[in-house]
Amino acid sequence: MDHVLELPRVPVVTWRREPETLAETIRAVASGDQDAFARLYADYVRLVHAIVLGRVPRRDVDDLVQDVFLTAYVRVRELRDPAAFGGWIAAIARNRATDYLRQSPRQEPLPEEVAGGDPIEAETLAVLDVVRKLPDAYRETLLMRLVEGMSGNEIAERTGLTPASVRVNLHRGMKLLRQRLGWTGHE
Amino acid sequence: MNDDYLWDASGPPDPDIQRLERLLGRLRSTRNAGEFRVKADAADLAVVRWTSARFLAPALAAAAAIVMMVGATWSTVRVASPPSTFSYWPVAAIEGRPRIGSTALAGSGRLAVGQTLVTDAVSRARVEVGTIGEVTVDPDSRVRLVSTRDGHHRFALASGTLRAVITAPPGQFVVETPSATAIDLGCAYTLHVDEDGSGLLRVTAGWVSLQLAARESFVPAGASARIDSALGPGTPRYDDEDREYQDAIDTFDFDEDPGRRASALRALLARTHSGDAVTLWHLLSRVGEPDRAAVADALADQVAIPAGVTRDQVLRLDRDALDAWWNALGLGDATWWRKWRLENW
Repeated sequence: MDHVLELPRVPVVTWRREPETLAETIRAVASGDQDAFARLYADYVRLVHAIVLGRVPRRDVDDLVQDVFLTAYVRVRELRDPAAFGGWIAAIARNRATDYLRQSPRQEPLPEEVAGGDPIEAETLAVLDVVRKLPDAYRETLLMRLVEGMSGNEIAERTGLTPASVRVNLHRGMKLLRQRLGWTGHE
Repeated sequence: MNDDYLWDASGPPDPDIQRLERLLGRLRSTRNAGEFRVKADAADLAVVRWTSARFLAPALAAAAAIVMMVGATWSTVRVASPPSTFSYWPVAAIEGRPRIGSTALAGSGRLAVGQTLVTDAVSRARVEVGTIGEVTVDPDSRVRLVSTRDGHHRFALASGTLRAVITAPPGQFVVETPSATAIDLGCAYTLHVDEDGSGLLRVTAGWVSLQLAARESFVPAGASARIDSALGPGTPRYDDEDREYQDAIDTFDFDEDPGRRASALRALLARTHSGDAVTLWHLLSRVGEPDRAAVADALADQVAIPAGVTRDQVLRLDRDALDAWWNALGLGDATWWRKWRLENW
């Protein structure tokens, strides 16, 4: 017999969900709680999306994000420390993106990233291309902040990095990004 | 300058960061409205997929399936045990090596809900649409399986060409495009979409409803309708009409110049003859009020206004009156379509 449960709308930038802890959610997912997995997805989809977007062509980002959550769902019981979920699923995302690039011989550098006639889209893709060439730590952190709209604290909470590390990544990444874009007026 | 704005958008705005937010924010994850479909066997979880359909899916194969949907909109979770199979459409490569997601298709494969089938310039694929028909995906195309459940199968054609042959009752097979939605009303058709969202629907059997918001076109067998990237479906015309006539329809539908549109309409009305009833019926609701009487008269020359319908009703664009006149064309029953849309849209 089916049971129909309502799930809440995914918030845009609100991440904290009380009073359930991440560990409780992970344990619930591991025991097959679909509702808990839905909440986990809502909390971490932006982290995964940012990581994948920084590595693969946009056209395949959604499919790969899906694959990452598939893998996480199937393997969640292998996760020994629930508090490490963020780093764990981030690693899955990086590995999945790496596999994708390895298996796709014609990924000559992100071939689909060609803008149409929209000048804003062209600038977006040009900036994305520069961001993608930043070191991993800077790239991922900046994409979480600038694409996904996560705050520094949220990035730290989701990735498991310390707030200080996130702050350094944002600051240095932004400095490098300005340099590479030739935007030096506001540093 | 401190990093407060970079940290959490507090403090004095940084123009560079604001500019980056505007540009890169366009790339933000949009899959919140998607759904997860989760199925497992008794011992272990096996498959997770999402879909982005608005229609929530009851389990197709087994009452034991788990269907979970996660979304930015409210979603539904169906929980049962023990799930067994996973919803997908079989795909076969006809030529070349189409891709499903990031994986090249070798011979045959499965297109799961949420996955995208991509063909390059030298590949084609055939997709079995449940038990109701098949879709051939031509080269340079991108199609995604949005949802599939009993009586409701939904594709999204981002670009390229697909050819559908559907044998199910009307309304079961829907193809979304960037600029219109094609709803099968028992038919065979070819649907092409360019990268900019414009396209062409050509129907070879049955008829298809093509719509964008309130603008809809009923396209019968032997007819086509262009799709404009902004305006959506154009006015249907039979394929055996001459080029001049079809150009006039395109001008009337999509030209921005009122003078050229008016000239095109005059040309269309001057050339009406048997077989133009479909075009004229659509023009009734697309012309301005001053021209509507002339279009109604031209249509009445082809197919008499049905009993119980008055000319005034037609000129007021009374929906029941227009539907009755459509039914009189003998191409299909609009009443059924209205009911279906009311229940499903």
